[in-house]
Amino acid sequence: MTSPLEARSLSLNREGNAVLNGVSFAVAEGEVFALLGGNGAGKSSTLLAFLGFLEPSGGEILVNGKSVADDIAAARSAIAYLPEAAALYGHMTAYENLNYFLDLAGKSVKKADYDDALNRVALPIEARSRRLQSYSKGMRQKTAIALALLRETPILLLDEPTSGLDPVAIDEFHDLVKDLAGAGQTILMVTHDVYGACQVADRVGLLRRGQLVGSFAAENGERIDTETVHAAFAERETA
Amino acid sequence: MNMMFRIAKEEWRLWLRSKVIVVATLIVAVLLAVTSVLTVNRVASEQSQRLAQQFAAEETFFAQPDRHPHRMVHYGHYAFRPPPPLAAFEPGVDAVTGQSIFLEGHRQNTPMFADTKAAADLGGFASLTPANLYQLLLPLLLIVLGHALLLRERESGTLAVMLAQGQSGVSLAMGKALALLAVIAIFMLPLIAVAIHSVVQGENGLAAVSLVGGYFLYLCVWGAIVLAASIILKHRAVSLGALIFIWLFAALIVPRFAINASSAAIEAPGKIESDLVMLAEQRKLGDGHNAADPAFQRLQKEVLEQYEVEKIEDLPINWRGVVASYSEAELTDLLNGYAENRMEQEANQSGLFKLFGLASPTIAIGSVSRTLAGTDLSTHHRFLRESEALRFDFVQSLNEVHATELAYEDDLNRSSDPEAERRTRVNSEAWRVLDEFRFAPDSASDRVDRASFAFGMLFAWLILACAVAFFAARRVRI
Repeated sequence: MTSPLEARSLSLNREGNAVLNGVSFAVAEGEVFALLGGNGAGKSSTLLAFLGFLEPSGGEILVNGKSVADDIAAARSAIAYLPEAAALYGHMTAYENLNYFLDLAGKSVKKADYDDALNRVALPIEARSRRLQSYSKGMRQKTAIALALLRETPILLLDEPTSGLDPVAIDEFHDLVKDLAGAGQTILMVTHDVYGACQVADRVGLLRRGQLVGSFAAENGERIDTETVHAAFAERETA
Repeated sequence: MNMMFRIAKEEWRLWLRSKVIVVATLIVAVLLAVTSVLTVNRVASEQSQRLAQQFAAEETFFAQPDRHPHRMVHYGHYAFRPPPPLAAFEPGVDAVTGQSIFLEGHRQNTPMFADTKAAADLGGFASLTPANLYQLLLPLLLIVLGHALLLRERESGTLAVMLAQGQSGVSLAMGKALALLAVIAIFMLPLIAVAIHSVVQGENGLAAVSLVGGYFLYLCVWGAIVLAASIILKHRAVSLGALIFIWLFAALIVPRFAINASSAAIEAPGKIESDLVMLAEQRKLGDGHNAADPAFQRLQKEVLEQYEVEKIEDLPINWRGVVASYSEAELTDLLNGYAENRMEQEANQSGLFKLFGLASPTIAIGSVSRTLAGTDLSTHHRFLRESEALRFDFVQSLNEVHATELAYEDDLNRSSDPEAERRTRVNSEAWRVLDEFRFAPDSASDRVDRASFAFGMLFAWLILACAVAFFAARRVRI
């Protein structure tokens, strides 16, 4: 069966430096795969490669079985992307931001659906008509998550999705991710939050200096053991 | 197409919500409106004044009493060049060439009353015109508005989000270009208003529309340059700095360099220098006031032979009038030779200057603007030629009256014999030989033809800038 997301011996270079070196993994439909790694491990670059923003220097990237290089538009139409910095417009309200980016995606959405998505990420109602320049980092992140939800794509790429969220919002977000995966969405998230990754992911991959150096899977309905992953992460990072 | 409008709309939302941009735009808009209104009023006033002065000069000439016709040759006349209707937008060379010329016998005077001389104490500020604002200030405004069109998206990370929604770099760039195009379209409104006013004032629609089209093209060139910089460059400050440098280069440095280079490449002697050489040659032609000047001996022989008489006293015409007419024709030939030579050198300098439009779109639009407005050097040269033709015609017509209506004996003795002096007074009806002079710009199609090369340069600039922006947009990276 074709995996929605697959990296085959993927190597990437950015500005002359090797970022990924022969990384291979696949994410199955309805699976949450978390790539865990320290700063500069190549996590965000991996996501950008799935969106066609970075061309592989080696190997291949596949979305729904098709090479991204062959059809970038098809890859992007299947993926909703949540960047690390919640890149939205400060001079627009939450509604305006959602409306604009969904228009760009060619997706027509009713206002009620906006509110539904914003309710799911628990963005206060009174804030929704305010410009984002008055938002906290967490509120901006919630708006960006709402945008990703409204895209209703089969694949979700999340770059440090809980960055800036308070602990309650993080728990709510984890529940939301599980719901989405349960509904069949394929989710690849990159993070350096070991606890969060273990809470939500079906599998965790450890990325270090451009190489996948470990993999942990949830078994028998149990969550991945945080202590085990943390130990491996700390060992690898200090090795 | 809808997506382009959507992107453009959001760009507009950003601009409208930015106080700095709104204030800057309002300042430029007010400046543009005020300058347009003031210039339109000033040119309308000058136009009616010069037309009235032309009528008055003719009436004054006709109203002169009976007198010797050669006194009327020296009494002289004025030719005025009323500003064409589009001079309200582009005064062109009028401000430095002078608007009126005193016409008299034996001389080709230079035009007088140049605005720049009248307002020398105000320096460059005296010549702020709508054309200046369009050529210099609006590109700056486009730079301020657009230097970060795509860069801002890249810097804030929204470019990745936009591209991730399935939009291509080209469609994003097209949307941004459309936003800038709308700004340009709005800033065309004052020019369109001036163009409509000029048509109401009698300007040909083709010239007015071509002028509007030329400036639209020019601002589109700047828009494309600004867009290309915002796609290619990586940092907002670098983009702004680079674009300001391009503006300085194109709008200020190249035009001044082009003037110096054109002057150096095609040497044109100064007026004093050429006048001194001309005076030396003029002396060889003889003094037309002195019929006994040895320079006219050959003429005397020919005329005596023609009329088959022995002495000038036996001629059926006044020998002094014949000499005056012959002398004026010879002198005019000489003066015209120098004038044509000088105009040719000026035209060559101007032609070379226009070629610098390949290095600066500001030079290209300046050329288009002056030509279409009828305020270019070529139109000024035609004014000089036509006013000279008027001068020569009335002087020679008076010389003919001198030769045919006055007796040689009376003419010879009028200083010592009051009766002879009275008989040399010609009826003032003779002053009607003066032709009516109404200077008008060339036909619109001639002006458009003359501006076509500069138009071509603007098109080349636009294609080049758009191509750069397009290929950069195709390769846009986050």
